[in-house]
Amino acid sequence: MYRNFHAGIIRLLFPFIFLFSSVSPGLSNSPQVGGKTNVQTKAINKEQKKDTTKVQVSNTTKAQGNDTTKAQGRDTTKIQKKDSLNLQAKDTVNRQVPDSIIYKRTDFTAEDLIRGERLFYGLVYLGDKSISCASCHNTQVSDTLNWNPDALEISRKYLGKNAYALSRVLLKPAGAKMKVVHKGLQLTAEDIVLIKAYMDKFVNIGLKENKPVITNLLLLIIAFVLFFISAVDIVIKRIFKNQRINWAILTITGVFITWILAVNAIALGRAKGFAPAQPIKFSHYVHAGQNKTDCNYCHYTAKTSKTAGIPAGSICYNCHFLVRNGTRSGATEIAKIIAHLEQKKAVEWVRIYKLPDFVFFSHEQHVSAGQINCEACHGNVKEMNRLYQVADLSMGWCIDCHKTRKVNISNGYYKAYYPTFYDSLRAGKVDSIRVVGIGGRDCGKCHY
Amino acid sequence: MRKYWKDIESRNKSNEVALIKATAENGTPLLDLVSDQNMELHASRRDFLKLCGFSFAVTALASCRQQISKAVPYVTAPPEMIPGEALYYASSYVNGNDYCSIIVKTRDGRPIKIEGNPESHITRGGTSARVQASVLDLYDGHRFTGPLVDGKPVSWDSIDTDIAGKLEKIAEEKGTIVLLTPTIFSPATEAIISGFLKKFPSSEWVQYDAISYSAMLEANKISFGKQVIPEYRFDKADLVLSFGADFLGTWLSPIEYTRQFSSRRIPENDMNWLIQLESNLSLTGSNADKRIQIKPSQESAILLNIYKEIVKSVENRNIDVPASVLDVSKISGKLLLSKGKSLVVSGSNIKQVQLLVNEINRLLGNIGQTILFNSYLRTHAGIDSDMDKLIGRMENGKVKGILIWNVNPAYNLYKNETFVEGLKKVGLTIGLSGSPDETSSLVQYICPDNHYLESWNDAEAKREYFSLMQPAISPIFNTRQMTDSLLKWSGSTLLSYDFLRAYWVENMMKRQSEFHDPVAFFDHMIQKGIFEPASAAEKESGQVSVPFYPAAVNVTGNSDKNITEIVLYESVALGEGRQSNNPWLQELPDSVTKICWDNFASVSPAQAKENNWTDGDVLRFGTIELPVHIQPGQAYGTIGVALGYGRTNCGKAGDGVGVNVWPLLTSENGNIVHRTKFDHIEKTAKIYLFAQTQTHHSMEGRALVREAELDEFKKNPAAGNELHAYNVEHNESLYKMRTYPHHHWGMAIDLSRCTGCATCVIACQAENNVPVVGKEEVHRVHEMHWMRIDRYFTGDEDNPEVVFQPVLCQHCQNAPCENVCPVAATNHSSEGLNQMIYNRCFGTRYCNNNCPYKVRRFNWFNYSAAGTLTGNLRDKEGMTGDLRKMVLNPDVTVRAQGVIEKCSFCIQRIQAAKLKAKYDNRALYENEIQTACSQSCPAQAIVFGDMNDHESELVKLINSGRRYNLLEELFTMPSVNYLTKIKNKIL
Repeated sequence: MYRNFHAGIIRLLFPFIFLFSSVSPGLSNSPQVGGKTNVQTKAINKEQKKDTTKVQVSNTTKAQGNDTTKAQGRDTTKIQKKDSLNLQAKDTVNRQVPDSIIYKRTDFTAEDLIRGERLFYGLVYLGDKSISCASCHNTQVSDTLNWNPDALEISRKYLGKNAYALSRVLLKPAGAKMKVVHKGLQLTAEDIVLIKAYMDKFVNIGLKENKPVITNLLLLIIAFVLFFISAVDIVIKRIFKNQRINWAILTITGVFITWILAVNAIALGRAKGFAPAQPIKFSHYVHAGQNKTDCNYCHYTAKTSKTAGIPAGSICYNCHFLVRNGTRSGATEIAKIIAHLEQKKAVEWVRIYKLPDFVFFSHEQHVSAGQINCEACHGNVKEMNRLYQVADLSMGWCIDCHKTRKVNISNGYYKAYYPTFYDSLRAGKVDSIRVVGIGGRDCGKCHY
Repeated sequence: MRKYWKDIESRNKSNEVALIKATAENGTPLLDLVSDQNMELHASRRDFLKLCGFSFAVTALASCRQQISKAVPYVTAPPEMIPGEALYYASSYVNGNDYCSIIVKTRDGRPIKIEGNPESHITRGGTSARVQASVLDLYDGHRFTGPLVDGKPVSWDSIDTDIAGKLEKIAEEKGTIVLLTPTIFSPATEAIISGFLKKFPSSEWVQYDAISYSAMLEANKISFGKQVIPEYRFDKADLVLSFGADFLGTWLSPIEYTRQFSSRRIPENDMNWLIQLESNLSLTGSNADKRIQIKPSQESAILLNIYKEIVKSVENRNIDVPASVLDVSKISGKLLLSKGKSLVVSGSNIKQVQLLVNEINRLLGNIGQTILFNSYLRTHAGIDSDMDKLIGRMENGKVKGILIWNVNPAYNLYKNETFVEGLKKVGLTIGLSGSPDETSSLVQYICPDNHYLESWNDAEAKREYFSLMQPAISPIFNTRQMTDSLLKWSGSTLLSYDFLRAYWVENMMKRQSEFHDPVAFFDHMIQKGIFEPASAAEKESGQVSVPFYPAAVNVTGNSDKNITEIVLYESVALGEGRQSNNPWLQELPDSVTKICWDNFASVSPAQAKENNWTDGDVLRFGTIELPVHIQPGQAYGTIGVALGYGRTNCGKAGDGVGVNVWPLLTSENGNIVHRTKFDHIEKTAKIYLFAQTQTHHSMEGRALVREAELDEFKKNPAAGNELHAYNVEHNESLYKMRTYPHHHWGMAIDLSRCTGCATCVIACQAENNVPVVGKEEVHRVHEMHWMRIDRYFTGDEDNPEVVFQPVLCQHCQNAPCENVCPVAATNHSSEGLNQMIYNRCFGTRYCNNNCPYKVRRFNWFNYSAAGTLTGNLRDKEGMTGDLRKMVLNPDVTVRAQGVIEKCSFCIQRIQAAKLKAKYDNRALYENEIQTACSQSCPAQAIVFGDMNDHESELVKLINSGRRYNLLEELFTMPSVNYLTKIKNKIL
């Protein structure tokens, strides 16, 4: 279903929309990978948050949560040392209490939570070899792929479990990768309990979002203001004696405004570079690149159906029945797909390549009949950790290809219905038959 | 050239003043009477500005954010399913007495289209409008969603223990349990029912057909010793004489008969001759070579006179019969000429009449020739008197428990009030129907049945012609197949599927020699859908007939002028009203009257003039009020009214549509007859508006439908089509004409074969996501059908001849629409198709105005919920709910408001077939591409193909002398070709 009416309005109200749209980070940045992703992940994150209620975080927590830089870390060293001294003192008192009882602790003061947070962010000195949780587990939305599960993910995972379960992972991890990275963690039961308490709180806090970049919008507004002032000056005020200055400002700002609007107008409704975070950190680089899995192994309907198909969980299980540990992500990501299969729950991937409903595109036509490589449209997927949209999927992009792509005229179908083409090609009268030559520019080939 | 007219007003050339004339008594203009809220626009300038501001904000917001959509794969992919590709299942359509062997098209697990199964020797790939529309019934949110006790939802387990306990208690006390069903022609279900009857020995089974043929069954028992309905062979009959039997529309097995009949309407071959004597102008009457109007009461006298003539000729004896109003010597003379090759049928439900018909057929030697008994029809077996007896016992309190499945006597029994009273005296009432109706609202327990597309079953519509029914989707709601319920209560642990399989392996496997492995056999049967063992072809044995005494016929031929006879008939679309909640069928214009969303009183022009009735006047028949529709061809002194309307509990679309006239039925010697009499009909002051699709454009005397008589055709194949040669000669262009050397898609429609049954209209609607607009919108000429059937009358106003013409986009090579589109949203493809690009269209409607065929439709409102502005939604019938939307074909764009749409020649099917050929590295097979209309046509009147393929059936038809194009004098060069209608006047 399409929105004809809206399309009409968009056409009518173009200038306004561009102005408005430049507020959006997705459009204010040049239409490249980063900008789009922000919007995307933001939206998903919002969705995820829906279920949970927001908890107000104190100012200090916020500031510290945002800062992971060393400089600011140094400022707080004093406090840290104080804290650790206090803790050591407490520890000596609590030494007699067995760990199993400590792990069952459920009551925490605000101070405890703050300490848990500092432990999580590595703001508490625990010896040289210790690494902080936050250094590997993202606490904010990221454009780039981080193989490790983010803070929200692990917090959610351990939400219903007690601190002991967390201690097992931290101190005696079973997974091959975690054995390496969690090696040498010097955490006491008390620390783990506090970290766990903070993690439980983190579920409600959620990942920090990147703020939209508004440079382009500011520039645009400044340009508009300058444009307006110069225009007024030319007509009414005449402050500048040399009117050439005004004309120069008008020209420069005019060009700049037009350029910004044009760039954004063309990108409107298109999603080139769209690279959303997926529920499972699936890497095409690992699967198709390193392990050389054929595209058609998973997308097995590409040759026979309109759609290439997102593989069912059962296809993943063909390999991941045995392969349970990834070299990068460890067991975490693979465990997710296994969990989905066991719970008979479908993975809700974020769709990247999407054509409007009034466009009919058949993979079978292009892959089987047209013998086009997957890479022609989807780019070098083998090198993408996080998949992104390579082509802008505009009609011009389609038609450009139809104009240049050669047709395999020796197919029995073409031989039967385009005999003259076949003959002239064989006789060398023409060098090739292009898709447009066999009706590849008919509207009705894609729109019906 | 003959003069054709479309309705009386255009005939009288008073079309212009009709609107002004048509004012109510109190002087209110007619259009003002339509005061539906939907039709009023309460929009001020402020609203407009608000809307502008709102839509600006919405657009701006919506366009700023990338819309996130999820891609959700299966957890475990079903091996047989390829996402995005259609899967087809052979199955059977069974709904009450209707049967069709079908192939169900499913996309991603959803049935979306029904096609005919060409393997079946009963329907031979044909379908009917009801079959085509049945897929929409599956997605009816009004169906029961689970078992109910006294209207409260319960679990199946609890309702089962409850019912089984009560049934056993009644059985212990030897109380009667009655199973009330329509005719069941499924062998497996019959076996399950007999198991149930065995389990509860005091129980009995009553079959009730709302439209019954019990008189025919009883008469055949007397005449032939078999209480069955024979197999009629209209294809073997040179002469068909039908007394009010609408065998092309509704009588017995219309899909089968249409195919048989139309196979004899090819003038190049041996054509048959059809004489129809009837009161209403039925679909069959419209196709008759000779149609004679009679009152129903005159039927027996005419039959007696024919009988007299035939007896005189065959047996050389004279009998005394009352005089008839009609001189039958010509008809009986013709019957005698085609002895053994004729067929006399009657739609009457009077035993004496049917006896007489049997006797005439026997004397003519038709038994064993055109009337066969080996493969008798099993779809109608209900005996009316059984129901009478049942009601009597219910009233006496003798029936302790009743199970009602798929029948609705509280609505469609002529004495429904006594049935309702009787039902109150039954202790245990169980409803097994799948959707709510007037009867199920009166029962205590509801154990809802699955839709047929969710069920395992079989059917034997004709003896030895078996077919299987398999589910194409798992039950949408918490429903359970009726046979499962019966099996459960009978104490069996089997499910219907297990039972069916075991039954077929046991009973059917031995009848064939191809498969010896039960698994292979059953799998093959399911795949094929049909099983027709050779034993059906066994030789007909001669029938012994009991001598008939014509004096027994109660002749009421004295036509009193003051008494108006009411003839009640089934409409082609809705029949007895089982599918009343189907908006597609409700919006399908009746083939003859072109009225949809209503029933009405058809009145003859002469009687209307006499009584000063005009179209839309409301008449009062006792307690029933009906609007008048003046119908040329209606017999004087009769009024025709369609049954199956006026439902009160069938759902959003069907409730309150039309008037319930079932109570007007009467009983004669235990059989329900579809006629009654009124000596006084009162005209009320009310005026009623019809939603009629064909008074809006006049024919203006142009030769749209060309016809000739058979003798003219025999002399000159271009008879009646002389204009074609003239036009071809005179049509010349100054421009170079575009050629289509590769594919050039085209169509031929044989008007001789087309019966006007409108199956193609619904098939097109289902295939192409054509929206339903509702009665008010149809009234405003906003109907959206891509394919329509134009109907024209010719000749005498009181006894006109009728011609039908399916009209769709003509895909002109010189298309007037293409030139005027300012944005080139409609243009021509390299394969000769007139393309319509919805996303390019912005709704100037210039093309619509410039199209001489008026086949383009404009989305005035948001009928399909594809648009985004909620205020524009027009969906009174609930077609845009999530459930109903599941019927949409994902290969066709759903159009939003503001765009033009039209027939695309099913381009999605063309593209799919071409791709399949490329994949297989081959040329297209013959007839590989079938449009929805050509596939569904039971008469095979529509042929689609490539006009460049000189071997094709299409090109052969195009090269015939009968071919012409619609409005060819305009030089639009359509790709749709019509073949002249040839009527048989010689014998």
